[in-house]
Amino acid sequence: MYDAVIVGAGAAGLSAALGMLRSERMRQMRASGIEPNVLVISKLQPLRSHTGAAEGGIAASLGNIEKDDWHWHYYDTVKGGDWLVDQDAAKLLAQEAPATVIALEHAGVAFSRTEDGHIAQRRFGGHTKDFGKEPVRRAAYAADRIGHQILFSLWQQCVAEGVEFAEEWYVTDLVVSEDHDKVEGVVAFDTHKGETHAIHARNVLVATGGAGRLFHTTSNSWDLTGDGMALALSAGLQLEDGEFVQFHPTGLAHTGILLSEAARAEGGVLRNADGEAFMERYAPWHADLAARDVVSRSIMAEIDAGRGVADPKNPEGPKDCVWLDMTGIDADHMRKVLPQVVETIEKYANLDPAHDYVPVKPTAHYTMGGIPITTDGEVYRWTDGGRAIVEGLFAAGECSCVSVHGANRLGGNSLLDACLFGTRSGKALAQRVADDPVNDPTAEPSDETGIDKVRQAADERSAQIRDLLVQLPEDDEAAQDNPYRLLADLGSVMERAVAVRCDQRSIEQGLHTLNDELTPRAEALHAHSDSSAFNQEITAIWEVRHLIELGKAVLSASDARHESRGSLKRLDFPERDDEHFLAHSMTDVTGQVSWQSVHIVDMPPKAREY
Amino acid sequence: MNGKENGMNTVTLRVNRFTPRPERGRERGGSPFARKSSPFGDSGASARRRPRGKQWVQEYTLSVRPEDTVLDCLLTIKRTIDPTLAFRYSCGHGICGSDAVAINGTPTLLCTAMVRDWAKPAGTQVDNEGFRHTGDDFQPVPAQDGDDLGVIELAALPGFPVRRDLVADIDQMLDQIKKLKPYLQANDDLATTEDGKIDAFEYLQNPQQLAKYELLSNCIACGTCEGSCPVYAGGEAFIGPAALIAASRFINDSRDMQTAARMDAIDSADGIAACQSVRACSRECPRGIDVGEEIWQLIAQIKER
Repeated sequence: MYDAVIVGAGAAGLSAALGMLRSERMRQMRASGIEPNVLVISKLQPLRSHTGAAEGGIAASLGNIEKDDWHWHYYDTVKGGDWLVDQDAAKLLAQEAPATVIALEHAGVAFSRTEDGHIAQRRFGGHTKDFGKEPVRRAAYAADRIGHQILFSLWQQCVAEGVEFAEEWYVTDLVVSEDHDKVEGVVAFDTHKGETHAIHARNVLVATGGAGRLFHTTSNSWDLTGDGMALALSAGLQLEDGEFVQFHPTGLAHTGILLSEAARAEGGVLRNADGEAFMERYAPWHADLAARDVVSRSIMAEIDAGRGVADPKNPEGPKDCVWLDMTGIDADHMRKVLPQVVETIEKYANLDPAHDYVPVKPTAHYTMGGIPITTDGEVYRWTDGGRAIVEGLFAAGECSCVSVHGANRLGGNSLLDACLFGTRSGKALAQRVADDPVNDPTAEPSDETGIDKVRQAADERSAQIRDLLVQLPEDDEAAQDNPYRLLADLGSVMERAVAVRCDQRSIEQGLHTLNDELTPRAEALHAHSDSSAFNQEITAIWEVRHLIELGKAVLSASDARHESRGSLKRLDFPERDDEHFLAHSMTDVTGQVSWQSVHIVDMPPKAREY
Repeated sequence: MNGKENGMNTVTLRVNRFTPRPERGRERGGSPFARKSSPFGDSGASARRRPRGKQWVQEYTLSVRPEDTVLDCLLTIKRTIDPTLAFRYSCGHGICGSDAVAINGTPTLLCTAMVRDWAKPAGTQVDNEGFRHTGDDFQPVPAQDGDDLGVIELAALPGFPVRRDLVADIDQMLDQIKKLKPYLQANDDLATTEDGKIDAFEYLQNPQQLAKYELLSNCIACGTCEGSCPVYAGGEAFIGPAALIAASRFINDSRDMQTAARMDAIDSADGIAACQSVRACSRECPRGIDVGEEIWQLIAQIKER
């Protein structure tokens, strides 16, 4: 029996571990000689977590360069989220951001510095002073490697605390009680040994990250397969605001690798197949520097109108890119101010941006929605118009939805969300552990006569693995298929259905394909090697099954929202509709959607204009 | 799959494969005879102890573009030819550090290695240790088909036990890094106020102080330096270049107060004294750290104190 199991070892999971171990309650408990049993399970080695890929910064109104105020950060966050933000949560985000960043600095993050030694800050899209008046330097940064710095520092601090990790273990089941009112534990697969473990825990925290691999083109690593969200759905819980997926407008063609907005800030221009600088047509004032969702939609509209271009790497392929023309930027200057952009283009497109047009395409970047949580990280079900807490179950980071991002996330707020609410949930978890520690010598032996649901789930999983390892005859149709191919097909289907824009027809087609074609294929998959140790195909089968379940929930939620807001553009409902949809969608595994009102505390909805 | 389609070329990936036999309750490092001369872990012993299983070389020929990465090729193989091929990969663009392997004998990342840079004509193969065949059995390079880029040889990262195909067990590297207390140990007086609360201010550090360790802090612990090091990968007792870089990162951080203890910890026979200044560790560092030079500076710092 564990006091706490944390699933995922990125910024959110590691922050939760530290928030818990370093909380006042936990200090007292350990001082009295009671050590908590804590395990962090990660499907990767922790240092490979996708947090490490974040480049830009972490937002906080430190005011190190110029005057800033958390009220302004609060306002920007609510407005950026197109008023689908829970304002109580966003208020905490803005208020506690400075302390969160300072704690990261104390943890060792090598922040870039001002001449006088303070943490340096830079401008970031949507972050303003005086409630939208002008840009403010709010994003604390470490050159263009803030994510790497945060990930490594948090891991290092966990080493200092002696945190126990189960690395390259994959959680296959989240087990909750029959009535969904209490967590029981998880089932995890040790990929090294090829063995399943039933892990009982009084508290479980899910911090598994996003789900960019729902889409063919994504900036996310290969491991962002929505595992935590799918585990919650399978356990009978819900997904909040799953229809909101942020697409960054300038991914490098089909690689999905991000080319920073700075490329356009320095003079890069988007052009269609005719060479037209089309953004002037869509956003006469801001043109190429309009908001992320606006630029992504404009690019998609050009592609839909037949004015896209093919990725030069695949000239016979679909014309689903546009050009980024950086040839107007002085070559030396470009190399000086955009080193990462130039390097990425040279390395991964084999082009010289000083002379060649660069193919770009919107790339799936961030899931605003996720497992619904309170501001203390407690997972709840939305039922009978109220929040029913699942006792002992927590979530944090991109897989969760405390709803600080609403319908569209601001840059610099994702790392902040993960670290800040990760820490908060860790502290809340510590309270529960300290109230009733597993190692309490004075506790009465607990009466555990009930059905062991975790053991049951583990046995079922072991049986499934034995079946997955049975080799099919080569002429069996399913033997020709594999999860990697299915993942690619799923990405294309989701791309057509809801990437950047959608309508009822595209959503229904997507759902139809997922239900009638991809689900049966996923169910028929078998591994092609019967050796279970380091058998990556087994994990890949579970991942693609997770993604398909999650994809259905995303499509169902998109289908239910008859409006356009933030990152969601419904071509058949082009306007925002506060009267009917100022509410969070709560979707379960059957596709049933219910609605939870947005928490409006200080700011009534206004038009979102930049 | 031969011939040219849409400006495509062919390349052959020659992969050193390994499938473990199922373990039968044998715990790692259980042998009483395992050599454990190093307090930093048993790099030598575990590098030599290979798990039992099936070992073979498999060739895959596929259509590629010269500018494709080797990772692209392996993902194509997984998707279209052989889903059983095992290799670690995650971010796909040189940030996560998970996909270090030996390409043509050289430790480097799959996702930053381009086919055009690594494919070589079929006659010039190197062995697993990266040596070219010479002598009597040397075959002259056969004439190449114009569209055939040749062969790329892949093996798991040298210096570490192979677990399956291109997946190596790098735990020994992480254990060695962890043994050197790789976390900031600042003066806590600065971090807390008089009543014990977390201080609301950062430790001050000016850009010049940051520059002393910033590059070192970019290490992604991929292990290419370790696999390149003839001392480390050769199986001698050596804490390894990655751990030394991690130590140096904190030694050079103006916020850290444990410089003397950190220097003591690596001033040992299997610490800096084991470094032979070969500097192979610098060659493929994906973060551009001149690992050999940094270790040299570290040695000078320690010897001169």
